[in-house]
Amino acid sequence: MVWLKHSLEYAGAVCALAIIDRLPLMRAEALARRLARAWFRVAGTRRRIAVDNILAARITADPAEANRIARKSFEHFGVVLVESLKSGAIFDEHNWRDKVDLDLAPQTAALLEEPERGLILVSAHFGSWELAAQLLSYFKPVVGITRRMNNPLADTLVQRRKPRNRFTLTPKHDADIGRLLGILRRGDILAMMVDQRAPARGMSVPFFGRPASTYVSAALLHLVTGTPICFGYCVRLAPFRYRIVAHPPLVYAPSGNKEQDIRMILCEINRHIEAVVRAYPEQYLWAHRRWR
Amino acid sequence: MQDNAILDTLRAVMRRCTTQDIDWDAVTLETEIQSLGIDSLAVLDLIYEIQQEFDTEIEAERFVGVKTVADVAALLEQRGV
Repeated sequence: MVWLKHSLEYAGAVCALAIIDRLPLMRAEALARRLARAWFRVAGTRRRIAVDNILAARITADPAEANRIARKSFEHFGVVLVESLKSGAIFDEHNWRDKVDLDLAPQTAALLEEPERGLILVSAHFGSWELAAQLLSYFKPVVGITRRMNNPLADTLVQRRKPRNRFTLTPKHDADIGRLLGILRRGDILAMMVDQRAPARGMSVPFFGRPASTYVSAALLHLVTGTPICFGYCVRLAPFRYRIVAHPPLVYAPSGNKEQDIRMILCEINRHIEAVVRAYPEQYLWAHRRWR
Repeated sequence: MQDNAILDTLRAVMRRCTTQDIDWDAVTLETEIQSLGIDSLAVLDLIYEIQQEFDTEIEAERFVGVKTVADVAALLEQRGV
């Protein structure tokens, strides 16, 4: 039965990708918005999670406004998926800077230009994070840590379609320490999403004022290697127009109190995420049980 | 530092890196650190604790491939601990 479900999901995904590939961008985006709105109507549980999260984060106190933001968030991710899939035909090494506003802190820009220096880039499921990783890989290779999907067929499809340029993925459960350290030693960018609930080994730190179990690996990697850790994000401004923002590197020396060191880093990162999500709430992935 | 002293200190350090219920008196230099609940990602905790406990700048990469408590002790010995 599971096999049948996975096969049907896979077939659906293949068909959707084939359609998206053949449609011109604007029609593909319009289709993505329609499908996202339909998904928003039928996906009762996800819709409720999104609306509840928006209210709990105090983005608004008005349930109708929370519902509107949640719907826009669904639409946003439909469009982002399309743009991510079509980006190979739009961007190349020579033109990408014409279409993207780069707002990089000078110290971070220097790290991106320096081939020998690794960088831990932390971000959130906000804006167009995958496209940002693809574009940043024009500076230096980017390795993203990803969770395998429950459906292995769909996972294979995603793994095949996502990587572009010098952006590659490494599955979270295979992400042994040697591989992660090797990425940093080569001077590459290790991209980690730190805004989802950490089911195990997480540290409870405030996220929008409520305790949330948070992944600690990025902070620990910074503390034990001294590799700069930096928060960045990518705002979608218009079709294939983006602003990529990278903050200055965070610098924390180990104090001997591991828990306190990690907590300080995670709290600072969460404050950055909260600020950008408050500025563009429609571009955040709200349909995730962050505070479960 | 004597082997026994290093082992005692490493036991105390590793205790802080695992949530497993371990008979620490039974831990020897031959014990595999993975059997103590210190898997590939928990090694980051171990590296932090060792760097702080021994006040030494052992590069994190040196811990790649470390399997037993003796391997960790050897790293420390190389650092003159």
